[in-house]
Amino acid sequence: MFAKGSFMIEYDKKENLLNINQQNHTIATGIQPEKSLAKKLEILSDAAKYDVACTSSGVDRAGKKGYLGNSCAAGVCHSFAADGRCISLLKILMTNHCIYDCKYCKNRKSNDVERATFSPQEICTLTIEFYKRNYIEGLFLSSGILKNPDYTMEKIVETLRLLRGEYRFNGYIHVKAIPGASKELLYSAGLLADRISVNMELPTQDSLKKLAPNKQMTNIIRPMNQISGTIAMHRLSADKAARMERAGINDRLIHSIWGDARQEIGAQGGSGQPGRSGHLMGEIESFLFPADKKDLHMGRSFAPAGQSTQMIIGATDETDLELIRTTQSLYRSFDLKRVFYSGYIPVNEDAMLPAIGTPVPLLREHRLYQADWLLRYYGFFADELLSEEHPFFDDAIDPKCNWALNHLEEFPVEINTASCEKLLRVPGIGPTGAKKILNARRYRSVDFEMLKKMRITLKRAQYFITCNGKMLYHTPIEHRFIRNRLIDVEDVSTAQIGEKTVQFQQMNLFTDYHVS
Amino acid sequence: MYIFTCEHKWDAMLTCIYDAWASKKGHANIKLMLEPVEQYSLFDTYTHVDADEKKAESVMRSVKNKISFQLYRQLAYASMAYEKDILDLMYRVLIVGFSCGPDVLNMVMYREILQFNQIYKRLCKEVNHFQEFTRFHEVQKGVFVAHIEPKSQLVVALGPIFADRMPSEHFMIVDDVHREALIHPRNEMYYLKTLSDEEYEQLLHTEEINDSYTDLWKLFFHTIAIKERANAKCQDNLFPLWTRKHAVEFME
Repeated sequence: MFAKGSFMIEYDKKENLLNINQQNHTIATGIQPEKSLAKKLEILSDAAKYDVACTSSGVDRAGKKGYLGNSCAAGVCHSFAADGRCISLLKILMTNHCIYDCKYCKNRKSNDVERATFSPQEICTLTIEFYKRNYIEGLFLSSGILKNPDYTMEKIVETLRLLRGEYRFNGYIHVKAIPGASKELLYSAGLLADRISVNMELPTQDSLKKLAPNKQMTNIIRPMNQISGTIAMHRLSADKAARMERAGINDRLIHSIWGDARQEIGAQGGSGQPGRSGHLMGEIESFLFPADKKDLHMGRSFAPAGQSTQMIIGATDETDLELIRTTQSLYRSFDLKRVFYSGYIPVNEDAMLPAIGTPVPLLREHRLYQADWLLRYYGFFADELLSEEHPFFDDAIDPKCNWALNHLEEFPVEINTASCEKLLRVPGIGPTGAKKILNARRYRSVDFEMLKKMRITLKRAQYFITCNGKMLYHTPIEHRFIRNRLIDVEDVSTAQIGEKTVQFQQMNLFTDYHVS
Repeated sequence: MYIFTCEHKWDAMLTCIYDAWASKKGHANIKLMLEPVEQYSLFDTYTHVDADEKKAESVMRSVKNKISFQLYRQLAYASMAYEKDILDLMYRVLIVGFSCGPDVLNMVMYREILQFNQIYKRLCKEVNHFQEFTRFHEVQKGVFVAHIEPKSQLVVALGPIFADRMPSEHFMIVDDVHREALIHPRNEMYYLKTLSDEEYEQLLHTEEINDSYTDLWKLFFHTIAIKERANAKCQDNLFPLWTRKHAVEFME
């Protein structure tokens, strides 16, 4: 496999050397040689904050005596930071030393930032003590590349083994797979953690080449494929379906992205038009041997909460269409639990990147997440939402309304007879609303009064539905008219995200109502 | 109108329901209220009811046998809510329940059942808040104490949640508003205790004990936020101000 011992020795030597240098430096300047735990935590949580996923969801596991922790499938948020994002896990890097020089990253080799490395014991103590105080639901462990991918992954696995074994931690762990690390280590990591993720970072080989010259698409896609194969294998052996469970509403849909391709994992693309990475997906692969036999004997299944990934948006010139096509093919072929998007925040000066101070593309990120939900819960496909002619989402209106406006021939939908699929495509009706309607209409016909009580968003839905053949108000089913009404609703909800102010304008008979 | 009043305790509430039912004044002429009654009305008859174990048990038995165990659990859960009219709503739910059977909470065409469901939902949300935002302090090696100030008397609902989370720790959750404490000894079943004044006095200062991990947590909380994405409104929505009283990250 690889010479584990030699890495250690080399590393220790260098560390010592570093310490000696630091000590000399200390004598001259009076700075502490070994950083305190607080300082390390500050550096390494600051370095980890751009990672998006902080979810503790996906697996239900009861606590047991002698161990610390349990896990709840719905996830538990323990706090909310000043940016409104939930803090569910102790999100840290093991180290922010890195041999790579990815242009977008704050911790790249060429940046002059303060570096630190946690020891496995420090990570374990922090996790355990924070967990006991109910600050967190578990650990999110990522890392810069220390020396080489295998060495880094080995350190990560060592930490997890210590946490699960000696520290008897039974809570949630999300671990990042380091691209390029060996199969055995990834297998061990997945056996010890609940969720494992490989960061896609950029959706195409070209942009990866441009911004992350040390990374290769095959090194990202291959472990994803292996992880999904191994998850399926473990699920089958535990008498479950090979594919992960999805939101209940998908069972009522005939066509959804999970639909036809549900049986075949690692199949080419899946949809008619696979994402660009489609050709990179090989045959089904799975891990065979863990780095340490004991990891298999702990009785844990491999990544029970599935795998996820994240992509940076706004750093390169991908279109939204490319992004959601890639997303869809990731869901279909690798059965990912989630794909996260991270609006690029300029941290480095570089000619290839947006300048420092460029506003974060929050609205674009929001639209992509809306589209992501449409794929996972509403039975939409990527190519229905955008086309080659319009490869970007509309700022003024959400993707579902946009789809409805472009398919007015499908409306109005009769609430009392429409199928679940049709109901879900009405703006303002989501999975919960659709289920309520389906339940209610078994007993009596549904009218607008009932829809209001069910909390269906009529301010959007009213233009697209009829109850017993009647619309709520006498409104025309006409593109310009509905679009203007919907933009009024949308303006208020997105004003905050897009950092724009709501602008009101005088109503005009000629432009708004086409009186001529 | 005949008004039956009782303390906000599970036993007393069930006894009150029993007495009101047995009084045979007609459901429409009866109202149930929780004490303290803020303003007595002029022309109504008030009857105070004390908890009686036998009567309470008989109500429990009937609900479990004649309606469903599920409804019994939901009633017990809802009885923790701070809303004053919860007792009367429980009474109304039972009237419908005894005539219509276990499906009673789906019958939202009755106004009372809709209201009951709304309170139930709000309470679940409140419990969820305290599952998330309760903060423990290590007062001695291996002994953890948390203070909470909920609106409802929900500390008992936190019992199973935290006992499953840390089965092998000594911990205690103190409800400062209702002067109740949930006590969980290591590897044992948890229990509930009403606190006397002296006990409460002693427990009052646990948050002042220096716990080094509190400082580390504050540090983590502040560094993990991305300045460029600051969104105070979103934070306030998800972490309501009233639940922050004992959240260390917001304490000075």
